Amino acid sequence: MNYPVWELPMGGGVLMALVSVLHVFVAHLAIGGGLWLVVAERSARRRGDAALLALVKSQSRTFLLLTLVFGAITGVGIWTTAALISPQALLALIRAYVWGWAMEWVFFIVEIAAALVYWYGWERLDARTHQAVGWIYFIAAYMSLVIINGIVTFMLTPGGWLENKEFWTGFFNPTYWPSLALRSAAAAAQAGLFVLVTAAFLKRGDARAEEARVWATRRGAAWVAAGVAAFAAALFWYRGALSGAIPDWADLAAGAIPVLPRVVALMWAGAAATFLLALWPLAAPRRWHPAGAVLLTASALVLFFGGEWVREAARKPFTIHGYLYTTGLRVDQEPEVAAAGVTAFTRWRDPAAATPAERGRDLYRAWCLPCHTRDGYNAMRPFLGHRTEAEIVDFLPRLQHMRARMPAWHGNAAETADLAAYLATDADRGAAVFPADRDAAARLAWDAHCGTCHTLDDYRPLRPSLAGNTREDFEAMLDMLPDLAAEMPAYGGDPVERGHLLDFLTGAAGADPDRSAE
Amino acid sequence: MNPYVPTPDVLPIPATAPLFEALLHLTFLVHLLFMNALLGGGAILLGSLFARGGDRELHEAVIERISKLLPTLFAGTVTFGVAPLLFMQTLYGGFFYTSSILMGWPWFATVPLLIVGYSAIYLNSFRGRRLGGGRRWAAAVAIGCVALVGFAFSNNTTLMLTPEKWSRLYFASPGGLHLNLGEALLWPRFLHMALGAVAVAGIMLALLARRERTDARLREALTRRGLDVFLAATVVNIMIGFWYLLALREDVSRLFMGGSGHATGLLGLGTALSLVLLLLAWRVRVVPARSLKPLAWSTLLTLAVMILMRDAVRKGYLAGLANLHEIPVRTQTLNLVIFAVLLVAGITTVVWMVRRLLAAPSR
Repeated sequence: MNYPVWELPMGGGVLMALVSVLHVFVAHLAIGGGLWLVVAERSARRRGDAALLALVKSQSRTFLLLTLVFGAITGVGIWTTAALISPQALLALIRAYVWGWAMEWVFFIVEIAAALVYWYGWERLDARTHQAVGWIYFIAAYMSLVIINGIVTFMLTPGGWLENKEFWTGFFNPTYWPSLALRSAAAAAQAGLFVLVTAAFLKRGDARAEEARVWATRRGAAWVAAGVAAFAAALFWYRGALSGAIPDWADLAAGAIPVLPRVVALMWAGAAATFLLALWPLAAPRRWHPAGAVLLTASALVLFFGGEWVREAARKPFTIHGYLYTTGLRVDQEPEVAAAGVTAFTRWRDPAAATPAERGRDLYRAWCLPCHTRDGYNAMRPFLGHRTEAEIVDFLPRLQHMRARMPAWHGNAAETADLAAYLATDADRGAAVFPADRDAAARLAWDAHCGTCHTLDDYRPLRPSLAGNTREDFEAMLDMLPDLAAEMPAYGGDPVERGHLLDFLTGAAGADPDRSAE
Repeated sequence: MNPYVPTPDVLPIPATAPLFEALLHLTFLVHLLFMNALLGGGAILLGSLFARGGDRELHEAVIERISKLLPTLFAGTVTFGVAPLLFMQTLYGGFFYTSSILMGWPWFATVPLLIVGYSAIYLNSFRGRRLGGGRRWAAAVAIGCVALVGFAFSNNTTLMLTPEKWSRLYFASPGGLHLNLGEALLWPRFLHMALGAVAVAGIMLALLARRERTDARLREALTRRGLDVFLAATVVNIMIGFWYLLALREDVSRLFMGGSGHATGLLGLGTALSLVLLLLAWRVRVVPARSLKPLAWSTLLTLAVMILMRDAVRKGYLAGLANLHEIPVRTQTLNLVIFAVLLVAGITTVVWMVRRLLAAPSR
């Protein structure tokens, strides 16, 4: 609304997710790996194990390249991408936390300098100083996490900040400590992953080098297993904090945000796979293999991808929960928008826009595009393809009742008509074809209509209301939806779609468990 | 009032704008030193890598010395680039974000470019001679990437100053594929920066020569090479500086021609300093044993003046659109103190580590 919206075919959120997950993956490794290096170095020196020391030195080179080149630059990349995707949120985060960012920057300088001195110091510094530099690196890297964690958790659970706008109130918000525990555990697991990957790809040397490799492999595996186990334990703490901080958390977890249960499952699957794979090098370090390292990296990526996605999904539809919507609208501006209409808050309006659809395109860019795409992530076409322009007009003022936690649409009648005119052209109606398989077609008809607000058995469950009704009952019900509840839009599906939907409802009423919508 | 200029954010800034301006300028100065040494040093390195004739021993010495330094310079450029970017966004975020979005893809491309450039710099530094003929191409890719990132920055920092262009660009294509190539300010600004970098890197080479204690001839040759680069780049850059001045929007250009005592004074000082720099460099060029300190410190001073001039240009362009004194302030004294203490402690730690490293003989 305040800024132009970058039109990206796959969606800005996807680009942001890509950059941030890759960064977060390496950033946790950069923290835990620093601890590993200094601990392993100390152990090697105490034992007088030259082979192990050589191994640690070789690891530190990979570590330097990975963290400085990839870790640091993707960190800058998050800033770059956030400015492009969520400028309003980034500016708010900077205004509220500029001193936090500035403090983190100091640790960033120390961290980068220490990483360089640690690497260049292998041949030049005495053992004591070299290890001291290693510790400085780790402490600085961990302190970066301590600060960033405050700002990232603030976005999801700002807590009392919403009232007092105090830096430290938002910083030590309800999920700060459990999240710090989660991320600390993840950093330990990532350190183990780093050790296991480098050990797997190490050229085989003499017997001593092999012993060093086995020593490191076994410990790396233990770090992964312990890290993931601690992560899983901390998740329960985190979930408890979330449910306290987000009043409707139970609804969200039950499917009010459709993607949330799926990404929670993805995260757990990643955690389980990572843990189980780590048992291999723990039990048989000599047989640890590059293929295992690749699988382990992939499973850890799934864990991180799922974990970060959970955080993002749980925040919908806000970038700063309870304060700023993804569209860039502040919550406290809503009454003003409701009174004045959305056009007054749509800064980027094309002066050449003359038709309703052209005016609607500007509204679409400002109010839909920040989260949706036509055919990419959060695509609108599959949804719109099942609706006529009149249905869209009818539906827009009810967006806030959808399962997906959409913000309310505050357009007046003319603005709603403009947006619907554009969405109807964009919908490419006629693409609403149904698959030949009757079950799949029935499911699609459900997803496109009833499923946008209901589930069968979880969130706003419909099955209890469906039970005992016949196809004829459902026929009648479809024609009187607005009479059932004020939030319900009228049903306008064509006869084909109607038939598929009736198939689904009849099947669900028969309590056919194979047709559970969620 | 341009309707596309974003409404200022309602959240206050946690200290007065002049403090953030001071931090912006100070951290940008450090960034500029690293960036100049990196980009300019890279250009000098490429000169030696691709040179067919000339003093081979000198070329090899240049290649060895600069290659060794580049990874650290890259790290310094990035780490000290983050802070001015942060403070600039604190003050001018609305303008900067809009121009960034208009050039979405080229702006996003700076991230992969930095990754490729940084990797290539390490390749050149760690593998070096083992790369054979490939070394020059690794260096070329690295420096090419750095230069492209600089070019993207010049595009963005000029586009953010001209809101009158924004809507035409966006409504022509909202896919973020724009650059600011039609801007009169773009080329002189980019070239002024790039040549300034080469000049500063010339001084860096001359300073590096001082560490050559065994071979007096090489020491002298390196010093001369550095100063030759400095002199040539600075002479051309003075002319580009005038091009830059002429390219300014008329009302802004007037500020530097007597319209504003501050801007005019800075221009006068900058011009005088560049002449002083030429003289100081020439003195050492003639007698390489002379101290480089006056030249190095004067260069630092000139960079500071250039940063202030750049700021005066920004303020001139955004006059009436970005009023820093109108940003609401809600001071966070404790956080300011914590930051200051951390900064001092952090710098002390870095200095301690680097001194220990430099003091230790290579074993």
